Amino acid sequence: MKKIICYLLVVMLVLPLVGCNKGEKSDFDPIAEFGSDELYVYNWGEYIGENTIDEFERRYNVTVHYKTFDSNEEMYTTLLGGDSYDIIVPSDYMVERLIKENMIQKLDISLITNIDNIADNLDSPNYDPDHSYSIPYFQGTVGIVYDTTKVDPQEVEEKGWDILFDSKYAGQVYMYDADRDNFMPAMKALGFSLNTNDPNEIQQCYDLLMKQRKEVNPGYVTDEVNDDMINGLKALAVVYSGAASYIISENEDMAYCEPYQGTNIWSDAMCIPSNAKNVKLAHAWINFNLEKEVAIDNSLYVGYTSGNKLALEELSNGEFKDISSYKIRTGYPLDEEYHDDESLKKTLGELWTHVKAGN
Amino acid sequence: MCWPYIGWLLAFVVAPMILILLYAFTKQGNSVLMLNFTLENFAKFFSDSIFPAVLWRSLKIAFMTTVVCLLLGYPAAYFIAKMDEKKQAFFILLITLPMWINMLIRTYAWKGILSFTDMSSQIKVMIGMVYNFLPFMILQIHASLSKLDKNLIVAANDLGANNVQTFLRVVLPLSIPGIISGITLVFLPAVSSFFIPKLLGGGEYVLIGNLIENYFISVGDWNYGSAISLIMAMVIIISMYFTKKADKKVGGEE
Repeated sequence: MKKIICYLLVVMLVLPLVGCNKGEKSDFDPIAEFGSDELYVYNWGEYIGENTIDEFERRYNVTVHYKTFDSNEEMYTTLLGGDSYDIIVPSDYMVERLIKENMIQKLDISLITNIDNIADNLDSPNYDPDHSYSIPYFQGTVGIVYDTTKVDPQEVEEKGWDILFDSKYAGQVYMYDADRDNFMPAMKALGFSLNTNDPNEIQQCYDLLMKQRKEVNPGYVTDEVNDDMINGLKALAVVYSGAASYIISENEDMAYCEPYQGTNIWSDAMCIPSNAKNVKLAHAWINFNLEKEVAIDNSLYVGYTSGNKLALEELSNGEFKDISSYKIRTGYPLDEEYHDDESLKKTLGELWTHVKAGN
Repeated sequence: MCWPYIGWLLAFVVAPMILILLYAFTKQGNSVLMLNFTLENFAKFFSDSIFPAVLWRSLKIAFMTTVVCLLLGYPAAYFIAKMDEKKQAFFILLITLPMWINMLIRTYAWKGILSFTDMSSQIKVMIGMVYNFLPFMILQIHASLSKLDKNLIVAANDLGANNVQTFLRVVLPLSIPGIISGITLVFLPAVSSFFIPKLLGGGEYVLIGNLIENYFISVGDWNYGSAISLIMAMVIIISMYFTKKADKKVGGEE
């Protein structure tokens, strides 16, 4: 009896492994075409369509090893540590830094036949104007998601970032706890540039954030903000536009405001690290993600605004028609991108530690 | 025979410690000189207003957590140890049961529960810590109480001690080794914990563990982060020294 149970257990353990070996792959010979049949992708968490990886594996008869990170800095540290990936997806200022430090390689544009699908507003980004190192993936802004049952939309639009510092909303505010995003609302509320290096201006922002801590008592959160706002725990929160799309689609009472004082405009792009081992296959991945259907699948699942012209057109007239945070924002001259600035980042990081610790 | 252990210790204990030491006593060099030895990181720690405050806050909450765990844990362990063996096994199972689920997930659950209350961050963090570390206290005290020779209690009663006297003069002194290892197992993780304050304190309640994480990941200043880790390690070594000493003192009285 015991033996039978034993065999049964073994079979049960092995079965799922057998199940993985789906026989539906194509006849494609990846070794002949790309010189390898494995691809190592390093991307943000929750940042890809449900079918993208399966579809790529099936079409090219390859295996994709997929890993995720939470912040540009985490990814950068991993790369510095010597890990080898074929695809990474850093944000604008990080692309700038990786180019400066020779950590990503020039792309072979002839292999990226879908390059014309890049969204018009990302045709020539500051960090890499002719796309020699990077191909845009997602894009967006940072803004305020708010509960329309607790806050008057007109008040949010009128006050913009200032509303976050208003003691009227004490205990009702979430600030974003990541690198430079925490200083951004203060910088824009005071009318400074996101990339300001002026110690006097930075001190003013710091004072404002300390005052906010005392008077408004905000929570400092990252990804938890999604669930908490869906549950209506606070009235106002600083979020990325893609997160706002997700929150609004789950809770109808929520709305999104991109403050008139200007905000951070960002994009994340696919790059190939200098130490990548499967470079040709990596190009195929980039090209694949530029296809209309793939880009739609990615954007639909993730909720972030696509960096792909065709997907953008279809989704902003379809699925995301009524969601303002999906639209690309134009006509605000005070909107800015972050520029790579090691020392500024460090200064803000230290000051932010003080704000969080409360002295 | 023991070389695999030595190799393991060298690679995973000694080498990382040396790296932390090296980072703590250096600052980033330039292209000519890779390493600059300095005490700057330590000077900064003690000159900056934020750090003594954070260190004090960490010690305070760890101390309070330990006291609450002891007050809750001792009676629980005591009553379990008094039961017959089958029941004991069952209750010990109940106490270890939550540990089958990942600590992080359980703390997330607390976040959900506590989010609907108006408690201060400090209370929330303390609830999370007591909840997470209480089983360690109970298990340690229970282990030393269940080893206690029941004849000693009978003898004490026989010689005229009432229940309170028996407890205070026989049971309690004999369970002190358990209390001390329980305190060690609660205080040390509490003083260095970083995800409980991070989740339950809503990011505004910063302990020394969060500070270290912040300096490594957000600020990117590994040298300073290492210096804080080293100071943290010193605090832990000093507190372990005192608990050891207390342990010996009690042992010597026997």
